[in-house]
Amino acid sequence: MQRRQTPKQPLQVHRKKQTDLSAWRKGGRIDPEKSVQNHQSPNNQKNDSKQDSLEQALSYFEKVQDRVSLKKNNVLQKHLTTVESIALQRGLPPEGFDVLLNVALSGKLSDTVNTRLLKSLIPASVIPETSVVSSVSWLCVSKCSSNIQLLFLRWLITVFDFIDHKERLHALYGFFFSFLQDEKMCPYVCHLLYLLTRKENVKPFRIRRLLDLQAKMGMQSHLQALLSLYKLFCPELVTITLPGKTKTYFKDSEGPWKATINTVRQRKQENSLVSQPLFLGTAQPQSRKRKWNTQLIIPASSTNKNNLEEDREKQRVDFYGTNESFPVEQLQTFSQLLQNIHHLEFPSQMGSVLTNPLLLHYMNCIKDESIYLRLYYWMGQTLQEECTWYVADNKQYEEFKDFLETVYKAECFLQEGFSSCEEFLYKSLPLWDGFCCRSQILRLVSWIPLSSFSEMKSHLYDPLAQLFFTSSLYFKCSVLESLKELLQNWLNWHIIHLDSESDSQAHSLNTTLSGLVNVVAELIDFVGWISTVALRLENNPTFLLYFILDFYETVCDMYLRYNLPLLIMPPAGVFYPALLSMDSVSLNQLCYIMYRYRTNLVAAKENELSKKKILQFKFSSQTYQEYNQYIIAMVGCLWTSSAFQKDIHPQGLCMDDELLKKTTVQEFKTSFNIVYHPAMMGYAVLFLQQAWPDDTTFNFSLIKGKKWNWYLEYLYAQGLKGLKVFIESSINRVSQASHSKAGNMQA
Amino acid sequence: MAVLRPFDKLPALNSAVLLLVSSDEGLQQKLAEAILREKKNFKINIHLATSLPLPSERDHLRPRIDMIVFMIDIKSKYSLKNVEASLAYVDASFFLGKVCFLVTGVGRVNCCSIEMNAIWKLGEIYSSPVLFCELEMEGIRVATAQRLLRMLQICAGHIPGVSALSFGSLMRSSAND
Repeated sequence: MQRRQTPKQPLQVHRKKQTDLSAWRKGGRIDPEKSVQNHQSPNNQKNDSKQDSLEQALSYFEKVQDRVSLKKNNVLQKHLTTVESIALQRGLPPEGFDVLLNVALSGKLSDTVNTRLLKSLIPASVIPETSVVSSVSWLCVSKCSSNIQLLFLRWLITVFDFIDHKERLHALYGFFFSFLQDEKMCPYVCHLLYLLTRKENVKPFRIRRLLDLQAKMGMQSHLQALLSLYKLFCPELVTITLPGKTKTYFKDSEGPWKATINTVRQRKQENSLVSQPLFLGTAQPQSRKRKWNTQLIIPASSTNKNNLEEDREKQRVDFYGTNESFPVEQLQTFSQLLQNIHHLEFPSQMGSVLTNPLLLHYMNCIKDESIYLRLYYWMGQTLQEECTWYVADNKQYEEFKDFLETVYKAECFLQEGFSSCEEFLYKSLPLWDGFCCRSQILRLVSWIPLSSFSEMKSHLYDPLAQLFFTSSLYFKCSVLESLKELLQNWLNWHIIHLDSESDSQAHSLNTTLSGLVNVVAELIDFVGWISTVALRLENNPTFLLYFILDFYETVCDMYLRYNLPLLIMPPAGVFYPALLSMDSVSLNQLCYIMYRYRTNLVAAKENELSKKKILQFKFSSQTYQEYNQYIIAMVGCLWTSSAFQKDIHPQGLCMDDELLKKTTVQEFKTSFNIVYHPAMMGYAVLFLQQAWPDDTTFNFSLIKGKKWNWYLEYLYAQGLKGLKVFIESSINRVSQASHSKAGNMQA
Repeated sequence: MAVLRPFDKLPALNSAVLLLVSSDEGLQQKLAEAILREKKNFKINIHLATSLPLPSERDHLRPRIDMIVFMIDIKSKYSLKNVEASLAYVDASFFLGKVCFLVTGVGRVNCCSIEMNAIWKLGEIYSSPVLFCELEMEGIRVATAQRLLRMLQICAGHIPGVSALSFGSLMRSSAND
């Protein structure tokens, strides 16, 4: 298996184009000779001295024979430092890995040298699969010490995503599996297997072996992880019960490489003159800069584009009728997706699907749990590692922000929240300052899946409330906005699942209607509470009121629009500030909401009375009662000028006449009707000016009788549509003006 | 060894006094400057101290303190100890909404040396809110300054209808029960 005499390969730090991928396309696998040739374009001959020295160092390591002591040998020292410094600066070219892995794992040199070599294996672009395969063969003959073996495995896990393709690595599954026996290596091997496992790898004998190991070593999180993955692939084979949610299966194995890889990547980004934009719409060449889509890069090689097209045509023909899977790299159009949907295989790095709408479509349609598991595992890991929000490094911060944005967009695309994202939010919200990645975090909040209230309360509502109360008006508005979207997402989820009630999805907790109703009610109560407090803290600004009423526009229509047997009235702390607001926008919005509440309640009552179907849920009489109290106050205010007498809400406007007289306001009774209301008076003035152009006394009492109707028409024409529907539905105008009563329902 | 009391002096008109207690004087200074830079319609006085008790000889010159912020650096166990020791010199009535713990350095949660639980517990025992931030980043410093300012305004009684006690219970009712 070992490829001992590799021909001396001329080294060029090749451009970002990854030419061997096209070679792989043609032949289905890499021909090393060919890929070397490809690199030998005359343009690339711009060798600087550094490259020369790297080349020298590599050829030295290639030839080095027996044990050379580091202390005594200056040549070795020199070459080792060269490799290290170049690796740290810009990473090693793909060709370097073969040589260095061979020497490090062959045990020719001392462990100190081997460790230093392994530590400097930072990829500049990709790592060729062949070099990894040959190093695994070194591992099998165990010429190197166990420490080096461990280090190599950790390296392999860290750079897994940089390996150019993994077919042959998959073929070595059995070898890796056999390393499980080694107690020290076991956790890392488990992690590696977790990354490699496909359905066909899950065999009864392997499951037995894992169970044996578990019996021997006790419950280990890494073994559990692998077993749970096996169980997902073949539930019929793994019958034992495994603990449900484990936060972290694997210890951090990233070792010394991660930080360096990041810096190299960033440096490269800075150097590249044109920053490639991230394409989300089409499966165009993906930006290389983020590591979560490194796997899906299609080189933008315009020169051989035509060849590629041809190849693709050929390959498409080849693939028909065969069982082989269609490489996702070639998936570019929707029709391709449809044609190949029966033999697509997801990329080995699941994260790349986030930016590929075609794969997201595919993911959505096959509904394979293991796919989600793979994605969640990767995403959870990434969110945890990359969560360096506050580090002064702006670039990293921007990148993290972009990443959250990408995750959010994928969630919108799939119309579904990711559980790994939820976990991340629950973990970070209590520590959040309300500033970093604000819009991203709040948007992600809107995709939190339904879960039990106790969890939501301690993880979401409590930290959010603390931030909400202490932060600015704009923060408050954005929180309300994202909670509205959260509510809408839940309601949409509910209506979709109502349609497809038969297929019982794995959404365990709240599939029952009563569960959903409770969780939704709790969210609405929470928003009602923070809204009341916020209006008091901020002194009722219109801006805030708009967002609050916007939330209730969704709430008031839940029964008819989303078929949810639940209606909750806004608390008095929201209703009265809106009713008495200085702004006609808020008042109009409130009128519309009350009209929708009425429509929903009437429909519910009719359903209840006709008893077409036995209803599991009835609105409590309290909801009707509350509605009636509000409507009495509202009609009393706006229409009959009797709010101070008739309002029966405990927190309402009811006031003693004696007390009102003490205010020395004349005609206090009419002061909140549609003419005198502070939000409406502007309209009344304009109306007077138009109706009596000569009169400059602003005699509002002129608006009555026929003029009252004219005035109403005038208001409707000004765009107060909410007021229109409210008055037309809730006010009985048969007896005209002063005697009209609220169109109450018989509650 | 005077214990700090919230109501033993008369308040000054249209002004608020904040006491920042922190063992890291550099950060403390920066935060104070950020607070002073904020627009506001009242006079603000910030007193800086590394620990309590405050020296008693200048006590008669000191105005009434409306709110105390204890800064805890997540990377230093000493800062937590320092705060815990200082808390002994604060009168119990201060904890009716006029104390807040500000945890700094949250950006490096991975290399923190204080157990998060210890901090949650501190907030719970003294029934005072715990705020998190990373003061080394300009934007967050400004946002944090604004948040503290809002709380100070409430503590100094500048927001009609909201007292320090009611606000404190709001912050708590979200955290406990």
